[in-house]
Amino acid sequence: MGTLAGTLTLPTFGSKVASKTRVDYQNTPEGALVQRAQAGEEAAFREIVERYQSKVFSIIHGIVRQRNDVEDIAQQVFAKVYLSIKNFDFRSSLITWIYKITVNECFDYLRKRKVRKLVYESDLSEDEVRRVENSEPAVDRQIPADSSLAQRDYVLKLLTRVSEEERMLLMLKEVEGFSVEELAEKTGMNENTIKVKLFRARQKLVKAAQRLDRTPGLVPG
Amino acid sequence: MHAVVMDSLEEYLAGALKPAAQREIEAHLNACDTCREEIRSMQDVSQLFVSLRSEEIAAPAPGFYARVAAQVSEHEAVPSVGNMFGLGFAFGRRLIFASLLTLAVLGSYLVSRESGYAAGPSPEAVMAQQEAPAFDSAPAQDNMLVTMTAYEH
Repeated sequence: MGTLAGTLTLPTFGSKVASKTRVDYQNTPEGALVQRAQAGEEAAFREIVERYQSKVFSIIHGIVRQRNDVEDIAQQVFAKVYLSIKNFDFRSSLITWIYKITVNECFDYLRKRKVRKLVYESDLSEDEVRRVENSEPAVDRQIPADSSLAQRDYVLKLLTRVSEEERMLLMLKEVEGFSVEELAEKTGMNENTIKVKLFRARQKLVKAAQRLDRTPGLVPG
Repeated sequence: MHAVVMDSLEEYLAGALKPAAQREIEAHLNACDTCREEIRSMQDVSQLFVSLRSEEIAAPAPGFYARVAAQVSEHEAVPSVGNMFGLGFAFGRRLIFASLLTLAVLGSYLVSRESGYAAGPSPEAVMAQQEAPAFDSAPAQDNMLVTMTAYEH
């Protein structure tokens, strides 16, 4: 499949796709809620937390699977939402924005967990710690007892090889099950753009999988 | 990958194609090895994502909002350099720019003064002043001080 990449020019989606008008999130009830939160109204922020806390917990649990750490990560997510709500520009829906923060926070957590584990196991120099921090998250190279855990570790490792945006789109498409049309609506992007981005992201995942499969010690699910 | 597959890739992977479109793609995949191989790899990777779905209904423990609020306060309590002085980002940038400009002006002024000193009194003028006999007069003492200062430089 990697051989195809050379013959592939820019994907030419769109012959069958009619792009819909973008949703104006600023003029929705949710937009009004965000504007109140942006103005510093605590009750509005509290409503955002209460509205999306279950969703955020589920996303984190799906990625991290460490029940003890789910709440800590969720707290970090909502603290970030609070601190950067003023930067929210209504180009996407609020949950899409929160989703992106949540997924990034999970990957950050996994990366830090890997560093902590390595520091505990051996005395690393600062340079080594920095190098590890910039590498992939904590994915065990042993075969976990449960094959679904092995799959989870494997796919998380693959997802470190794509950009944050690609990761978010893939998660929304594959985990949340949104259609391209729904993704376009939620992200404020054109449907063709979504298709192109997903196609490229999938190609990267396949290439990463091929590389990992050649790496001894890592067993795919 | 050929356009016929690429156009409907997402729907095909999600199993959401209409029967006619599904038949069209499958006919192409039967005839095209490269598309078949590529789409099979993408399907393999796509199936891995099932492991990231959380079946568990996750509900936070009571008091979650209070803990988030505490977390926010912690973040806000860590001061940045700008916040320490109550400065906004834009104002801080202007302040830094103004400071650099002031430093540049002061620097160029000092350099010009330095070159003025270098061109100071000529050795002949200094000698002539030293040969002047009237040391007891006040102007002469001033001249002597000026001369000594010139030597120091």
